Amino acid sequence: MYGMPPEMSGAGYDTSMLQLTGYLFAGLVVLILGAIALAVLTLPAFFVILYVSDKLVGVFATATGWFPLKVTVIMFRGLRRSMLRTSLTYLALFVLTLVLCLIYAVLYMIGNATSEKEANFKAIVTHKTTIPSQMPPGYYERFKRVCLEDLPPEMRPKNGDKDIMSWSFILGTTDKANPRKDNMVFLFALEPDKVLTMMDGLDELVGQEKELLEKACAAMKANPRAIVMSKSRLKSLNLRVGQTIKLHGMNYANLLFEFEIIGELPEGKYEGVSFMNKDYLIQQIDTFPTSPNNPKKGEQHPMADKCINLIWVRLPTKEAFETLSEKVNNRAEFGTVPIKLETASSGIGTWLGAFKDIFWGIKFILVPAMIGIMSLVVANALSISVRERRTEMAVLKVLGFAPRHVLLIVLGEALLVGFLGGGMSALMAWGLLGNVKFQIMFFGAFFVPMNALFYGPALGMAVSFAGCIGPAMAAKNVKVAEVFARVA
Amino acid sequence: MMSRAIVQVRDLHKSFTRGTEAIHVLRDLTLDVGEAEFLALMGPSGSGKTTLLNLIAGLDQPTAGTITVGENVISGMSESELARWRTRHVGFIFQFYYLLPVLTAYENVELPLLLLNLTKEQRRKQVENALGLVRLTDRMNHRPGQLSGGQQQRVGIARAMVTDPTLIVADEPTGDLDTRSADEILQLMEILRAQLGKTIIMVTHDPKAAARAQRILHLEKGQLVLDTAAAVS
Ligand SMILES: Nc1ncnc2c1ncn2[C@@H]1O[C@H](COP(=O)(O)OP(=O)(O)O)[C@@H](O)[C@H]1O
Ligand SMILES: [Mg+2]
Repeated sequence: MYGMPPEMSGAGYDTSMLQLTGYLFAGLVVLILGAIALAVLTLPAFFVILYVSDKLVGVFATATGWFPLKVTVIMFRGLRRSMLRTSLTYLALFVLTLVLCLIYAVLYMIGNATSEKEANFKAIVTHKTTIPSQMPPGYYERFKRVCLEDLPPEMRPKNGDKDIMSWSFILGTTDKANPRKDNMVFLFALEPDKVLTMMDGLDELVGQEKELLEKACAAMKANPRAIVMSKSRLKSLNLRVGQTIKLHGMNYANLLFEFEIIGELPEGKYEGVSFMNKDYLIQQIDTFPTSPNNPKKGEQHPMADKCINLIWVRLPTKEAFETLSEKVNNRAEFGTVPIKLETASSGIGTWLGAFKDIFWGIKFILVPAMIGIMSLVVANALSISVRERRTEMAVLKVLGFAPRHVLLIVLGEALLVGFLGGGMSALMAWGLLGNVKFQIMFFGAFFVPMNALFYGPALGMAVSFAGCIGPAMAAKNVKVAEVFARVA
Repeated sequence: MMSRAIVQVRDLHKSFTRGTEAIHVLRDLTLDVGEAEFLALMGPSGSGKTTLLNLIAGLDQPTAGTITVGENVISGMSESELARWRTRHVGFIFQFYYLLPVLTAYENVELPLLLLNLTKEQRRKQVENALGLVRLTDRMNHRPGQLSGGQQQRVGIARAMVTDPTLIVADEPTGDLDTRSADEILQLMEILRAQLGKTIIMVTHDPKAAARAQRILHLEKGQLVLDTAAAVS
C-alpha cells in the first residue's frame, strides 16, 4: 500500500505485484471451487423449484387450456428428459453467474472507491517522490495552518482541525531478538479524537460498535500509552484487552513502547492493525537523545524528520482542493520536502494503477473467457439435446406446429434453465454476501449490489440463449420429409 | 363402383438432387383414392412409398403434377399453409409411433388439438373419445415408456384421429409390432374406415396386413405397376 514502509511485509502488507497477482488468482480458484460446491449444494433446490413450477404451470395449463401455458408445460417436461444434462447446464450457469457476480461486485466497489465525491471529500498529502512517503512532523503543523488560515474561509475544512489527520506507520515486535510474524504488531499512530470522523469505514459505525470505539478513543486521548487492536491480531498474539505489551520498534529502531491494550477494533475493519496515540510516538522521539537505548548519545532519532507518513484532509469543494493543491505545490515553505496533494480516490487510483493490468486482464480476458467457456458447455449440452430430438421436432411439425413454435420450445427450455441457474446464484451471492460488509483496506464496504439480482438471471438467460440459438434454428428449420423418408 | 375420389394425384413427379445428380423418385404417377377407402401401398424398399405418402399428406412439395385432397389443391400451398391444413385434414401414424416421451398418453393425443380453436371442454371430450376408441382410457396418464409397443401405437392412432381428419396416412404402422398387436392395430384401422368413414392410405411390407385393405397398389421404381387386389398372392 502506498505510504507504508517496506518492512511491513512481515505483517501481511506486502505490496509486491507478484504476490498480489498470486493472491488474486488463488482467490479466483478458491472462488470457482466454492461456486462449484455451492452449485452442487443448490442442485436439489433447483430441481425442487423446477418440479414445483412444472406442477404449477401444469395445473394452470389444465385449468385454462391456454396454448402458451401448454407449450410451457412441454418446455418444463423437456428439462426432465436428461437430469444429468440439465444438471450440468445448471451447474455451468450457476458457477458462471456467481463468479461474475462477485467480480462485478469487486469492480463496482473499486469504481465507487475511485470515483470522487463532489463535496466533503478526502484528500491525501504524501511525499512527492519517496515511496514510502515520509515527512517531517513540522510539515503537518504547517499544512494545517495553510488549510485553516491561508485558504479563503469558504474553502477551509468545515470542522477545522477535526478534518485534518496524520498517520504514522509503526512496526514493532515483542521479541527483539527473534522478530516473527506472530510477535509483530503494526500500528497507525494518529490523533484518537479523529478516528471516528476521519477514517473510512469507521465514520459509518452505528450502535454499540460506535459507542465502544468512542470510549476506547477517549481512553486513548487520556492515556497516550493506550492502544486499540483488531480482534484477529489480539488472538494471534494471544493477548486480551486490559493487558500491557512491550514493543520494540522495527522501523523505529531502538524505540521501546509500553502499551496498554484498552480496546478492540470493530470486526472486519482495519483487520490486523492497531491504533496508537500519535503523542506517544512524538514523545518517544523527543526524549530519544537522552534515552539509555540510544546508541549515539545525544543525537536525534534517525526517523525524527520522517515520522509522518500521510496526512488526510477533508475539503468542502473541488475548488478548495485545487487551491490547496496549488499552495502545497508552489509554496517555498514546503520546498525542502516536496509533497503532493491528491484526492483520496486518486490516491487509491494511483495505487490501483499499479494493478490496472490485472484488472484489465480480469475485465477483458478472464470474464469474456469464462463467458465463452460456459457458453460452450451450455451450447454443447443444449445442442445434444436438440439433435437427439430432431425427430420429435419433426413430429410436432407434422402435427401442424409452426417453425416458430418449435423454436420457442427449444429456446424456452434453455432460457428457463438460464433464468433459474443465473437467478439462484445471484440470489445466493446477494443473500450470502449482500449483508456481510467487510472492509478491504481503504475501500468502502464490500457488498454485492442489489441489481445483481437482475443481472444474474439476465446473464444466465443471455448465455443459454447464445448457446442454443444455433441448435434451435436448426430444429426450427428441420425438414420433415427428410427426417421421415429414410426411416422405413 | 368407387365413391367420389377424395385424393386425386395427377402426373406426379418428384425428384431429389443429391450433389449434382438428380434422383427421380416418382415419375408421372396418377392415382385416385375414394372416400372412406382403405388403400394399401406396397413395394420394395426405396421405391418411393414414403415419398408418395409424404406428398399426399402435405409434408413435402412435388416437383411437378398436382395433388388434390378434398377441396384443397395442396400441391400449390406454402409450407405454413400446409402446416395449418395438415392439423385439420390429415392424421399420421408412424412405424415407430413417435410419441413425445415426456408427455402422458393424454397429453400426446391432445397435442394437435392445441393448435385448433377449441374450448378446453371440447378438447377434453375429443381426447377422451379418441382414447376410448383405442381402449386406453385407463392408461391416459401413462408415459409412452410405461406402455407396450402395441399400446403406444394405439396412442398414435388416437392422436391421428383426434382432430377428426378426413385422411389418415400410416407408414408401416405394424412394422415394429408382434402379430397380435399388429392385428389389433389393423382392426382399429378398419373401425376407423367403416365406422368413422376415414380414408386410409397405409404403406406396408406385410402381405397379410395389406390383405386387410380394400385395394393394394404396388410401387416400383417410382411407378404404380399393378392396381388390383388380386396381386396379393
Ligand atoms: N429428402 C431426400 N433427399 C434425397 N433423397 C431422398 C429423400 N427422400 C427420399 N429420398 C430417396 O428417394 C428414394 C425413395 O425413398 P422412400 O420414399 O423413403 O422409399 P420407401 O419408403 O419406398 O422405402 C430413396 O432412394 C431415397 O434415398
Ligand atoms: Mg418408407
